[in-house]
Amino acid sequence: MNPGPKIVRYLFGNEALPISDTLIVSWIVVILFIIFARIITLNLKMRPGYVQNAIEMLLTVIEDQIEPMLPGEGRKFLPFIGTIFIFVGLGNLIGVIPGVPNPTGDLNTTLGLALVVFLVSHYQGMKENGVWGYLKGFTEPVFFLLPLNIISELAKPISHSFRLFGNIVGGGIIITIIYQAVPGLIPVPIHAWFDLFIGAIQALIFGMVAIAYISVAKTS
Amino acid sequence: MVEFSPEVINTIIKAAALLGAGFAMIAGIGPGVGQGYAAGKAVEAVARQPEARGNIITTMLLGQAVAESTGIYSLVIAIVLIFTI
Repeated sequence: MNPGPKIVRYLFGNEALPISDTLIVSWIVVILFIIFARIITLNLKMRPGYVQNAIEMLLTVIEDQIEPMLPGEGRKFLPFIGTIFIFVGLGNLIGVIPGVPNPTGDLNTTLGLALVVFLVSHYQGMKENGVWGYLKGFTEPVFFLLPLNIISELAKPISHSFRLFGNIVGGGIIITIIYQAVPGLIPVPIHAWFDLFIGAIQALIFGMVAIAYISVAKTS
Repeated sequence: MVEFSPEVINTIIKAAALLGAGFAMIAGIGPGVGQGYAAGKAVEAVARQPEARGNIITTMLLGQAVAESTGIYSLVIAIVLIFTI
């Protein structure tokens, strides 16, 4: 649940550096995930155990999603897309603990991720077609459409970030209203729907749309 | 010419903003229709070709996510109208 980020304190007591509760939760998610990743990669075996098997399966599933849209480059984009997918997924799922705000329910987090995807997609497009060839692609089919093409490119990170933000904040507001209407009761089905189901689907969609943007920039 | 006090004007602005938030959410009709249409077509496709189920569901979810954007924009506008006034 996340009805909206709140500023809890200031870095070094400086008013210009606010720290919101979503930022603290995202740091916790990142640190826990780094520790988890270090522990499971300490002793990798040829015959994997339960945990290694599950992680390998998750990575294979992500790679299988990338492979049809970026042929032959699934392994190359796996670290980038996998990081985004796992961070967004954990950020969505951690909201199932009552009182913990989702890091993804903050427009700063989602817009940051969307801008990273935006930069990577344009970099890949320029690497694939050359800088001039890529920029010339914006004037097609006729030069007259250049402003429209630029606006549609700028709309991509906005819609990409607002989709995740709106879904998570909308669910968080509904859960908060139920918490205020019935104090002392934890609405388990509502939590399961908005945090587990919608959270997992939105993480999948955020990753898929990132792959689609990179693939569109590479082929244009 | 009737002079209104600042409290009355603020109340009118607040009421108009809340009403506007409600009107903004009328946009929720569009994504509802669109997502339902996509889901119905996906059910037809799965019924015709059950072996392509995984691909169809992934494509359906991606299309629904894009169709959902307009609804999410209206939700964001409604949230801004409610919480900034």
